[in-house]
Amino acid sequence: MADLQDDLHATPGVDGLDDLDELGELVEDPFAATPYTPDAAPLERARALLAAHPVADGYCGLPWALRRLPWYDLELGESDLDTDVPRLREGGVGAVFWSLHLPEGLAGDRAVGATLEQLDLVRTVVAAHPEGLRLAHTAGEVADVRYCGRVAVLLGPAGAGALGDSLGILRSLHALGLRVLTLSGASWASEAGLTRFGEEVIREMNRLGVIADLSGASEQTVRRALAASRAPVLCARSAARALRPHPANLPDDLLAGLGAAKGLCLVPMTAEQTGPSLRDVADHLDHVRALAGPECVGLSGTYDAGTAHPRELPDATGYPHLIAELLRRGWPESDVALLTWGNIQRVLRTADFTARAARQRRAPSTARIAELDG
Amino acid sequence: MSAVSSLERTRALLREFPVVDGHNDLPWALREQVRYDLAARDIAGPQDAHLHTDIPRLREGGVGAQFWSVYVRADLPDPVPATLEQIDCVRQLLDRYPADLAPALTAADMEAARAEGRIASLMGAEGGHSIADSLGTLRGLYALGVRYLTLTHNDNVAWADSATDEPRVGGLSAFGREVVAEMNRLGMLVDLSHVAATTMRDALDASAAPVIFSHSSARAVCDHPRNIPDDVLERLPANGGVAMVTFVPKFVLQAAVDWTAAADENMRAHGFHHLDTTAEAMKVHRAFEERNPRPVATAATVADHLDHMREAAGIDHLGIGGDYDGTAFTPDGLNDVSGYPNLIAELLDRGWSRADLAKLTWQNAVRVLGAAEDVARDLRATRAPSNATIEQLDG
Repeated sequence: MADLQDDLHATPGVDGLDDLDELGELVEDPFAATPYTPDAAPLERARALLAAHPVADGYCGLPWALRRLPWYDLELGESDLDTDVPRLREGGVGAVFWSLHLPEGLAGDRAVGATLEQLDLVRTVVAAHPEGLRLAHTAGEVADVRYCGRVAVLLGPAGAGALGDSLGILRSLHALGLRVLTLSGASWASEAGLTRFGEEVIREMNRLGVIADLSGASEQTVRRALAASRAPVLCARSAARALRPHPANLPDDLLAGLGAAKGLCLVPMTAEQTGPSLRDVADHLDHVRALAGPECVGLSGTYDAGTAHPRELPDATGYPHLIAELLRRGWPESDVALLTWGNIQRVLRTADFTARAARQRRAPSTARIAELDG
Repeated sequence: MSAVSSLERTRALLREFPVVDGHNDLPWALREQVRYDLAARDIAGPQDAHLHTDIPRLREGGVGAQFWSVYVRADLPDPVPATLEQIDCVRQLLDRYPADLAPALTAADMEAARAEGRIASLMGAEGGHSIADSLGTLRGLYALGVRYLTLTHNDNVAWADSATDEPRVGGLSAFGREVVAEMNRLGMLVDLSHVAATTMRDALDASAAPVIFSHSSARAVCDHPRNIPDDVLERLPANGGVAMVTFVPKFVLQAAVDWTAAADENMRAHGFHHLDTTAEAMKVHRAFEERNPRPVATAATVADHLDHMREAAGIDHLGIGGDYDGTAFTPDGLNDVSGYPNLIAELLDRGWSRADLAKLTWQNAVRVLGAAEDVARDLRATRAPSNATIEQLDG
């Protein structure tokens, strides 16, 4: 209504020549199209695209980063962090996975309790920022949160150590909202690959709808998980090893395998894995899209995880520039929409469908690591 | 008034106001006996050979709500993972028997389950060790559905003294009071069974919400540290809480207390720990039992406690917490979860009115959970979650 009233005020009075001129312009060219200049306006197109298909960011280290801060306000903005609500909004982010990974030292004995604390912290932080953030668990909830104009927060990935080698604990963590689990750093998912218990963990994850994250997992684990999982898997922080040799980056054959399994490679915005510039990140995205396919590539900011970022991507506000670069490189808008939003939504939805079917077939597993791995 | 007619009247009463039981260790029994293989102990059918608890006997006993204990041993290197497994066990039971067990988190859920004729199923954690000195973990247990925490089990925790351990902090430490305050904020009931009398008094001072004793009887009737002293019972009217009488013979019958002490002494005299269950130890124990027959408690023994607790605390502050599947021996007539009607019939014969018994079995316990929810609603409006640590508060 306010807009309409402003228009009324702009209607010319009898003594306003300027106003008459304005009206004349309007009458002359009511549908003047802004000239289409593909090279001049990719940033605008990127912003328009992100408004419709925001970024679902696959990895954010905020929970652990917040533990060391005595006080913070994510709603107003926080210079100590990479992530806050204003920058998420400016960057066109609609959903973020908040990592529950623990620092090395904590991954052992106290991992289960520390993970409970991390889950509690996320709940508390999200509850304290109701205007900006809202927890979501399923694809439907993520969409709901977006329609409410909030950023959806999803829980995960957690490290394999959070399971304490017990499927009962996996179920309890799922009941608390956990959606993604990284399959590395446990006796059952080591350099040697997945043990029998490790495979049972994947089957139980499929039954629950917890998605497997294979970034940082050994090559054997990745191959076995691709074969064993009935739901799509993802690599929450992996770029292309062909472009940059980093242990968490995926070689071409695994990228192709991931594509064949309709999994998801989420390319991190870290200088270490992708290179020091935005163009480097775009190169990785090009490569992953070419090998795995446009349905199997996504974005993972990896902000607040203690790593250096490409110059032009210091925080979430860089995403529109990255999308603009991809548009310049000729990515069709439909592929960009999959990259930012569609693919992650598809994986969440498929994981839920798989879980519903699996629950018809299987009772909760009572398998114990001592029985299966001896 | 004949016993038969009392029993009939009891059953009619329990149909309307079923039993809320404060403590049942079925999850631990399932963990120990079959490692959570619920198919191996299908409680839809009779499990008399293995358990005190199954659905047919819960039904026969007139049980309408059960706090399932998610107890784990305090001597585990890390009790938190095992507690999550216990919680998962209860959730699996709820998934498995949806026609009989109704998930319940609130007083309203309990009433809804009663209206549907299902057994409201709640969870209680037994022992502060289950939160590993972390208020974040406490909130995690609450989020998973745990609605009471017994502050200690048989051993002290760093922030609270147990009834059956050497006094250390003399009740609750500063962090212990913070745990109570956070439980108040959440709406998790503070359970004072197992704690030292000093801890009971400190917790009553600290708690803004009614407390419970999930399975404890009266110390004036039977002098055992697990029971509640009169001065504490007398504080319940002001606090609004509820003391749920337990049936465990070695807590409720003086002769059984003395007998257990003598049996333990005998074990130690033969060089065994008194809880040793190895074959040799059991042989020594059986020989003792042959010479000294085990004293037998009955429903009347428990009724004696309730009569006294009623005098001390008042009819609005009583409940029932059988500790089934958490104790080896049970009183005659209260042998398993089908036995509650025998206790109610005994009380009817002693002149307890229908209104009194409705309070004892159902109304008091439901009221206390509802009151804790009300307090939590108020506190949450003004207080943020506490992240105080034991190092900060207790130094």
